[in-house]
Amino acid sequence: MKNPYQPLESVVEDIIVETPNIRTFVVRPKEEFEFKTGQFIELTLPGAGEAPFTPSSDPNVRDTFDVTIMKAGKVTGLLHDIPKNTTVGIRGPFGKGYPLDKFAGKDVLIVGGGVGLAPLRSLLFSLFAEMDKYNKVVLRCGARTPADLLYKDSLSQWANKKKVDVVTTVDVGEPGWKGNVGLVTTILKDLPVDLKKTVSVVCGPPIMMKFVTLKLLDLGFKPPEIYLSMEKNMSCGLGKCGHCRVGKFYACKDGPVFTYEELKDIHDIWD
Amino acid sequence: MQIFYLKEEFLDNFLDILSKEYRVYLPLKVPGKAIKCDFGFQLPTDEYMYKIYSSSASPAFIFNPYRTVEPLRTFYAYPKEKVASYFNSTQENPQPEKKTAVLGVKNCDLFSMKIQDFVFLQGVTKDPLYEKRRGETLLISGDCPAFKESCFCLALGIAPYASEGFDLNFSPLNDGFLVDVGSPKGEGIAGKCGKCLKPATPAQVSARQQKRDAVAEKLKQHLKPHQIPPKEALQEIVTRGYNSKVWPEEALTCVECGGCNFMCDTCHCFLLSDEKFGSVNEKVRLWDACLYANFARVAGGANPLKYRPQRLRNRYLKKFDFFPQNLGLAACCGCGRCIDVCPGKIDIRRVLKRLNDEKSLSTP
Repeated sequence: MKNPYQPLESVVEDIIVETPNIRTFVVRPKEEFEFKTGQFIELTLPGAGEAPFTPSSDPNVRDTFDVTIMKAGKVTGLLHDIPKNTTVGIRGPFGKGYPLDKFAGKDVLIVGGGVGLAPLRSLLFSLFAEMDKYNKVVLRCGARTPADLLYKDSLSQWANKKKVDVVTTVDVGEPGWKGNVGLVTTILKDLPVDLKKTVSVVCGPPIMMKFVTLKLLDLGFKPPEIYLSMEKNMSCGLGKCGHCRVGKFYACKDGPVFTYEELKDIHDIWD
Repeated sequence: MQIFYLKEEFLDNFLDILSKEYRVYLPLKVPGKAIKCDFGFQLPTDEYMYKIYSSSASPAFIFNPYRTVEPLRTFYAYPKEKVASYFNSTQENPQPEKKTAVLGVKNCDLFSMKIQDFVFLQGVTKDPLYEKRRGETLLISGDCPAFKESCFCLALGIAPYASEGFDLNFSPLNDGFLVDVGSPKGEGIAGKCGKCLKPATPAQVSARQQKRDAVAEKLKQHLKPHQIPPKEALQEIVTRGYNSKVWPEEALTCVECGGCNFMCDTCHCFLLSDEKFGSVNEKVRLWDACLYANFARVAGGANPLKYRPQRLRNRYLKKFDFFPQNLGLAACCGCGRCIDVCPGKIDIRRVLKRLNDEKSLSTP
């Protein structure tokens, strides 16, 4: 039997500095590796530790994938110091991805906050690859400051696509910033979507997901149509180690994407 | 199921037959602490711990009258072990381990294997290490002719004697044991015992039942003063008590030692960690404890189980809500190991009773 704890040898082929504390690592696995958008992997820095990340690249690209990582803890701190061509390990993919089949024929509202835009970029690529299946894609994303905004070049490219609507905001502006200033909830007014056939996908820090969810409910979205990415400290990825319990679920195998319907009766989900 | 009778004088023969094929673990008696209050039952205080049997240098076989100190799961998942080595390691051929036979397993331990099997043999994938050890381990259980102060299996509907889940089961009777055969593996061993094993008589079987019933009745009397709520109500009690003051009050004496987790027969949580040995990297698996402060902490510092009362509550929700929802069984076998180990004297029987009392108070 395949050992589920054995990491697959991979090489970090390129490192892109996105913001002062976020980098994108282009990883080339030594064997064939596939993932579905929204699934996560465990990235091992040999001898140092592993941590869960959701790839931020197009799942249709098979030979490499990207992970966009914010410096936030022990493993992410060490990863930010590695040079190109460092050997890393990957395990996975784990969990259920975004249910794209349920998005077909609908308006897809995507709300991202900070580094939460990383898994959503993978989702966007998947949607763009089969754009005729979806009615339209509406992206609303926020960051702390203009310097913290992820994928700036891509954002303007996406905004020029047909059937795609992009609005960004920052919590705190700076001289020369001409865009919106305010929390991401402030750009959820007058959404160009048909509420009756819209699904929304939210990913960001827990506090942002909480207030965005409340706002969406306020706007008339139904709990089964709100998809949330739950950040928990998945360790094994297999539903065995017990760390990522959310009510009756494990985020690693039952998520990490859940509908608000599945979570709404569980205590303290935003903590 | 076949039932045999083994005279005590043939025990050594039995152990020798067993130890040819297996590395045999036997319970060894160690003096325990006296109990301050056991409601006048004058219960035994000795402890039993596993030791490897060797025919030349082993103490006489002791039939442990109740469960050992160690949970049975220690034979399947070790506190710290290598689960993978990467990348520049040469392909190593693991030393063939001699199969393990464990004597002195009790029914509480056997119940817990249902929880461990669910975690490690079902779901997304099987755990290869667990599967191998589980398959190769011979479990020889025994009735409990006595019980410890902390034993409360009956409250969870678990009897102090086994009826399934073992390879062989020993019931002490007169100057020997009734031996139940519970699996093909057990049958194989029984087949090698020849004339040591004689078919049990109906009189012996009914005599055993009387002894079993007597112990169960005594345990029932012992549990009465604890007023443990009925097992059917436990899920509702812990979920309705989510905001109860019982959690912060009981957690006051918790020192976060993780003892309740590590000694628990149904706890299974672990953490994967990476270590470096020269040029070889290893992924190791360590037991983890949900009472530890960083159990649920994520990068950046957010922690849904930041406070001790939350973590104490999490343990109960996992056992009495998560597992019933996912498996249909509560993940508690009533072995009382968490009660014995806790330096803060947090007693699961009391916690459940207090939550139940509160619930009845709040119901008009």
